[in-house]
Amino acid sequence: MSYVIRKLLLAIPIVILATFVVFLMLYLTPGDPVSALSPPHATAEQLDKIREEWGLLDPPWVQYGRFLWRLGHGDLGTSVGFGTVDESVSWLIAQKLPNTLMLMGLGLAISYTMGIPLGILAALKQNKAADRLIMVFTLVTYAMPSFWLGLLFLLLFSNYLGWLHAEGTSGGIGNIILPAMTLGIGNAALTTRMMRSSMLEVIRMDHITQLRSRGIPEREVIFKHALKNAVLPVITVIGLDIGWFVGGAVVVETVFTWQGIGYLMTEAINRTDFPVVQGCILVMALFVIIGNLAADIFYAYVDPRVRLG
Amino acid sequence: MNQARLSPRKRLNDTLTQWKMIGGFRQSVADFIERGSRNMMVVIGSTIIVTLIAFALLAPVLPIIDPTLQNPYEEGKGPSENHWFGTDTLGRDVFSRVIWGSRISLLVGTVAVLFSLLIGTSLGLTAGYFGGKIDYLISGTIDLFWTFPAFLLALALAAALGPSLSNVMLAISVSYWAGFARLVRGQALTVRERLFVEASRALGARNSRIMFTHVLPNCLAPLIVWASIGVADAITIESSLSFLGVGTQPPAASWGYMLYRGKTYIGEAPWIAAFPGIAILVAILGFNLLGDGLRDVLDPRLKGLRR
Repeated sequence: MSYVIRKLLLAIPIVILATFVVFLMLYLTPGDPVSALSPPHATAEQLDKIREEWGLLDPPWVQYGRFLWRLGHGDLGTSVGFGTVDESVSWLIAQKLPNTLMLMGLGLAISYTMGIPLGILAALKQNKAADRLIMVFTLVTYAMPSFWLGLLFLLLFSNYLGWLHAEGTSGGIGNIILPAMTLGIGNAALTTRMMRSSMLEVIRMDHITQLRSRGIPEREVIFKHALKNAVLPVITVIGLDIGWFVGGAVVVETVFTWQGIGYLMTEAINRTDFPVVQGCILVMALFVIIGNLAADIFYAYVDPRVRLG
Repeated sequence: MNQARLSPRKRLNDTLTQWKMIGGFRQSVADFIERGSRNMMVVIGSTIIVTLIAFALLAPVLPIIDPTLQNPYEEGKGPSENHWFGTDTLGRDVFSRVIWGSRISLLVGTVAVLFSLLIGTSLGLTAGYFGGKIDYLISGTIDLFWTFPAFLLALALAAALGPSLSNVMLAISVSYWAGFARLVRGQALTVRERLFVEASRALGARNSRIMFTHVLPNCLAPLIVWASIGVADAITIESSLSFLGVGTQPPAASWGYMLYRGKTYIGEAPWIAAFPGIAILVAILGFNLLGDGLRDVLDPRLKGLRR
């Protein structure tokens, strides 16, 4: 139990760092921070009004304190660039979040349903043609930038074959497949490599040799005994994959104009809508932190050596 | 024996033997080249990288069209004899822009990794060598940055600082150094307990001398591997940032930015985005191959370094 508590305590400074980075963003902008919050060609009176509204005249630590206080109440500020009505950032994000979660979930599923069987196959056929082929495939897909893969998918499935309307969120299930595949395939390369090395390690262990020497069929040895041990380290890193998926989601959503928080953020960057960018980054960072924490705790749960060691 | 009838590898070996390699730096280098040349991944990876560097360095003297030259009569033309990779919507030659783009990717990759290396090594070395409170403080910071996803941090910084080449390099360096620091710290922790360090200290060597002549050289192997993979990661981050519009800006012809511009015309003029994409893929593949290969050559124990 103390292991979990230690991990939880360690997450606190990381959350604080995340809030601090997000807070600092406004002050890293070139020039006066007020210019990042105001419409272009604002008059001096308007600027003064914004300064007062945002409390930019207070000392920095007071501003940071207020920022944290508002965060604690779920208030991420107000959008400065979207339309005529000032919309609350939390509301904007809450609207888009389900789409991102759906995309990441499906991407994760694709990544594991591809990566685990491929990894097992590569390990069982080590140094044979199938293994070589799979390893080359993982090398190439890992090096392939997700935005480029996405564009290729768009070109192939949407323009040439006309099977799927890839852009946008409306239009049902067909639209999510391409972005989710793009997101999943890049991570599948990592999963495959990890599954392969984990499987290779397990099938060389004494208890597996012992099972084989007892004449138990190979199929049973692999799928009933080896797989259980080999798949564990692969499954436990799902939490760590979240970091990869969050970064990937920003890019993939932009390629497919998928209405998630990643797309919301790139739109906000282009409109210099600073509060929205800050809110999106913070939410994504929290995602990753929670994912990492979940991975640590899950790992300790399934492998007692971690929490006792 | 006739030199010409030997295989290239044998010939290399012979040459190296003639160097009278007896211990020391030359021996290590010769040994390194010999082992590296036997690893397919290292050979392919370094071939790709050397070719890229050659293109980047020679771009100004190569007989290619000016990458910024706009030709209104040749807008959005497909690949042809005059324009191997076609032209973009402003009539600029895509081939020439891809060649010039290699300069930006390599520049960002190497500069960002050098800076991360500098920050990471100095912090990691200090933490691992001195231990105690200093270590506690520094390794806490390292852990913070290690957990925070590099791409998000770089994105946040780049979005705040505004799009420019130097800001991209700064953003990547600040978000990427923790990996180097972890490596060096771990290595320093074990090396400082070794007998030769104790002997050196007994002989009255100063801390700085021990750190730089004994501890740091022992960290070199994993650092080289990590740096190679780091360049690949930096190129990925740079192109992603440019693709999102917060990276390098025109007139610089960055691969990511070319994709960002070409994205809109993917249906009508796929070559505008396709070729820069291939260039990114090849560059990342090259550095990843070199890194993976070097890891096997230099230190097989590092296999767990990256999944």
